[in-house]
Amino acid sequence: MKYLRHFLEFTFYIRKFLLAALIFLATVSSFGTQASAKTRTKIVFWHEMTGPAQVQLNKFVNNYNQSQSNYTVIPQFEGNYNEAVQKILNTHGTSASPALFQSMDISTNQIASSGYTTPVQKFINEDNYDVSKISSIARAFYSQNGKQLSMPFNTSQPVLYYNASLLKKYKITPPPVDPSYSDITRVAKQLYQHSDKKVKGLSIEIYGWFFEQFLANSGTSLANNNDGHSGTPTSVSFDNPAAIAAMKWIQTNIKNGSFMNYGAGTNASTNEMASFLSGKLGMFLQSSASISQLTAGTKDKIGVTYYPHLDNKKANGVSIGGASLWISNDKSLQEQRGAWEFIKYLMSPTNQASWQSATGYLALNKGSQNEPVLQKLYQHYPSSKVPSLQLSKTSPNNTNSGVFMQGLIQERTSVQTAMEQIYNGGNIRQALQEAENSMNSAVKSANKANKVQN
Amino acid sequence: MLNNMKKSKKDLLLQYTGLTILAVIILIPFLIGFWTSFLPTEEISKGILWSNHISLNNYITAFTQTPIIRYLFNSFIISFLTMIAQILFCSTSAYAFVFLKFKGRDLLFYAFLATMMLPFEAEVIPNFATVRSLNLLNHYSVMIIPFLASAFGTFMLRQAFLQIPGELKEASDIEGLSHWKFYAKIVLPYSRISLYTLAAYSFLTSWNQYLWPMLTTFSDNFRPVQDGLRQLQSQESFNNWGMIQASAAIVVIPTLIVLFFGQHFFKNGLNEGALK
Amino acid sequence: MEEQLNKQFKPLNKIAIPKLQKLKKIGYDVNAKDKIYAFLFLGPSLLILSIFVFYPMLRTLYLSFFLTNTLGKPTVFVGFNNYVNLLTSSTYLNSLKATITYVIAVSMLTLVLGILLAQAASKKIAGINFFRTIFSGTMGVSVSVAAIFWLFIFNPSVGLLDQVTTFLHLPTINWLTQPGWAMLAVIISTVWMNLGFTFLIFFGALQSVPKFLYEAAEIEGASKSYQFFHITFPMISPTIFFISIITLIESFKSFGLIDLMTAGGPDNATNLMVYRIYQDAFLSGNYGSASTQSVILAIIISLFTLMQFKLLEKKVTY
Repeated sequence: MKYLRHFLEFTFYIRKFLLAALIFLATVSSFGTQASAKTRTKIVFWHEMTGPAQVQLNKFVNNYNQSQSNYTVIPQFEGNYNEAVQKILNTHGTSASPALFQSMDISTNQIASSGYTTPVQKFINEDNYDVSKISSIARAFYSQNGKQLSMPFNTSQPVLYYNASLLKKYKITPPPVDPSYSDITRVAKQLYQHSDKKVKGLSIEIYGWFFEQFLANSGTSLANNNDGHSGTPTSVSFDNPAAIAAMKWIQTNIKNGSFMNYGAGTNASTNEMASFLSGKLGMFLQSSASISQLTAGTKDKIGVTYYPHLDNKKANGVSIGGASLWISNDKSLQEQRGAWEFIKYLMSPTNQASWQSATGYLALNKGSQNEPVLQKLYQHYPSSKVPSLQLSKTSPNNTNSGVFMQGLIQERTSVQTAMEQIYNGGNIRQALQEAENSMNSAVKSANKANKVQN
Repeated sequence: MLNNMKKSKKDLLLQYTGLTILAVIILIPFLIGFWTSFLPTEEISKGILWSNHISLNNYITAFTQTPIIRYLFNSFIISFLTMIAQILFCSTSAYAFVFLKFKGRDLLFYAFLATMMLPFEAEVIPNFATVRSLNLLNHYSVMIIPFLASAFGTFMLRQAFLQIPGELKEASDIEGLSHWKFYAKIVLPYSRISLYTLAAYSFLTSWNQYLWPMLTTFSDNFRPVQDGLRQLQSQESFNNWGMIQASAAIVVIPTLIVLFFGQHFFKNGLNEGALK
Repeated sequence: MEEQLNKQFKPLNKIAIPKLQKLKKIGYDVNAKDKIYAFLFLGPSLLILSIFVFYPMLRTLYLSFFLTNTLGKPTVFVGFNNYVNLLTSSTYLNSLKATITYVIAVSMLTLVLGILLAQAASKKIAGINFFRTIFSGTMGVSVSVAAIFWLFIFNPSVGLLDQVTTFLHLPTINWLTQPGWAMLAVIISTVWMNLGFTFLIFFGALQSVPKFLYEAAEIEGASKSYQFFHITFPMISPTIFFISIITLIESFKSFGLIDLMTAGGPDNATNLMVYRIYQDAFLSGNYGSASTQSVILAIIISLFTLMQFKLLEKKVTY
């Protein structure tokens, strides 16, 4: 045995090591149990807000938590809209799932048919909450058979932004407030040439949302059965005259050099905005939710127009974008109640007004328009009124009220692939046809898997 | 003679030039990253990289406005516990394959080897379903439990244990040492270099995990640093480059320091792992 | 260090071995409790590996024959349909092609640059340790840090490369939005990340080549390049093989850089296998198709791992 004594020291350290590890484990596992002693009910709230919208949302949460003592809302950022949908579906029924979550417009059908949520209508009825003061267009988007499924929260309109100071500097007439494709081409080309090719005229992010809106604004359906409003869609159409016209318009601008392609995804929109703010880009399509960031980010005057439309056709109008708030049904009634209370708080006239002025998402409470915050905003930046004007001038029909179908994330992926091909000089019809085929076969197998009767 | 000396001087100059060029190429991403982390974002986004407005503001923002410290802490806990577990379980399994005689040992060993052929990336779908039904989602354990044992670690330690002279085992049998004592008092100390290597390897592998934590964590309380950085980057809707570079620097500097001091040992360990 | 240990144990052997032989003669069973110990020692590992490696592989195989509904439940058995659909889909084949391009380019570049760095760092000149430290530096860089560094360099409006091209009046390259360039950007970033580790391994291998071989060649008047191809290269060839297989396998599994830098775009040019699996499963909810892709990935990686085992076997007998 004495030969082994050399190693006693070593084993001593090993033991110490293991002990430390055990203590570690114990402290770590106690993290979860500490807070349960408090009397407040925790409301885990998943959202996908970035930048100033996240800042404002966190402010709302803090104010709400201080304003009452029954609930603690815990906001958690879950990445982009696409990621969040599967996270929500995948965690349902586990302790990781949220009590309240935000999910994007095109996921509405999927979330609703999962059966994982409690329709907010239940709480509206219980409280006799007056929903008529919430914008009816936005409410309609998230309701089914007169039942409110979720509460519209951040509602945006796609618009075109232009740098008015830059156009003035190069003596270019700004685009009209309801521009056609060629109006925009004219401005983009002039800007590019007058600036001696230093300023790019136009950028349109590779984003399925914009593609959908080109179709909507031309009165064309993307999916059959009236974009899903009269039944589960069984096929989609990308290769149609409206899409071809929009893609041709983009390619024209690419060919004359005035177009800048920032690609797809988060990096694309941040780079696009950075270029616009630093005066290297004259115009771009984006959500109205970017307004506050743009006005805060530059001293230049910024112009806003409606979504561009076909040259010889009146605009049909675009659908709303953004997301709504849902209450999960896997949490206790108390938690669900807390989630609803927080929704009510967010929808108050004052909060909706601050929401619009901080972000650019539209204030959905009709009472918000008289709030001093909004009055002041309109006074300082008259152009910030454009998105709500666009919304109010639109008369809703089947093609401009969103697409009701599952698997729209895949639709966006395929459309974006086609757009990438087109932006890099590919054949428009071929690209659209390929995307359409791949989406159609996906729709077919999805319907089969979900046992939808054709 | 003189000619020769001239030639070797020229040679030396050439060598240093070559080395410097290579070093600069390797260093450029670091240097750009560190440099911009001291610049105000407004200037970076205007493309001004030669600024004299150098400050630590981005670091202050990163430390106070983001959960970067929490991310680092999470990563440390996850990697540390994974490391301890792997050392323990890999060494006991390796011990069993080398020093224990039981039925089906070779078959089991081949089964272990086979798992090395199956990439974790190809198994995330059922694994997600498993941890979901075990209710482990969004907790440290979800990033530790699937990695408690590793076939690679077992294989590596088995190779090391095979180097232990057989007579030692026989001798300790006579001394009446139990397997546990032989394992703890002789095998482990004897193979400590391989154990260190496994420790470093498992810690680093865990530290660099990206896909799995991204799928299984949903709050900053448990999110490790790799996914934390992704989070920071994606929630800036217009790139706060200065702050993001500062957070990247905060994450990378500790590992660089460890690497700098542990370089010699690490080099030996790696070669050992690679060549044995 | 091992030599020292051997010395320490020597005396034990001298006493113990004769004693043991005596014991064996009288029929003493030294392996009595092995079974219990095997259970205790192997149990935890077996449990973990069964739950998280064996079972999921079978389950993935099972799922690959099904269509799944939006909640991820397998609903319709379709046999090999998923396989047929994938292997006839142009986007999947493109993804395979992109993966192979990426894997080959990354492995070749990593290998060549790794050897170059190791060779350069083997010079015995003043300050060489400084260079060695720098060359191994990227080992400390994790995937998200590397992505952030390179995203800035490749940034189209403020990035370093953009500033350089503007300064030189060259046409702007949209690194991350043009298919070919995006692939190149991802390859460059991956190779850079790999270099630290590869350098260390090759540096170690070069050190183990016996010096007298070079001295002999020097006397014979052999040129430096002759020495490299006829001495260095054959001597480190096992390491070269080892590194190339490790790099190949790791590149097949690339995910983080793709996710952070290109998200598989543009036009799926960088939509490598693992990223596609993630996209189909965890963004679109097509678990059936994603499982099929996982099986294909597992088959490819198994083949390379088998090659690695063959190599290791050879090494053991070295």
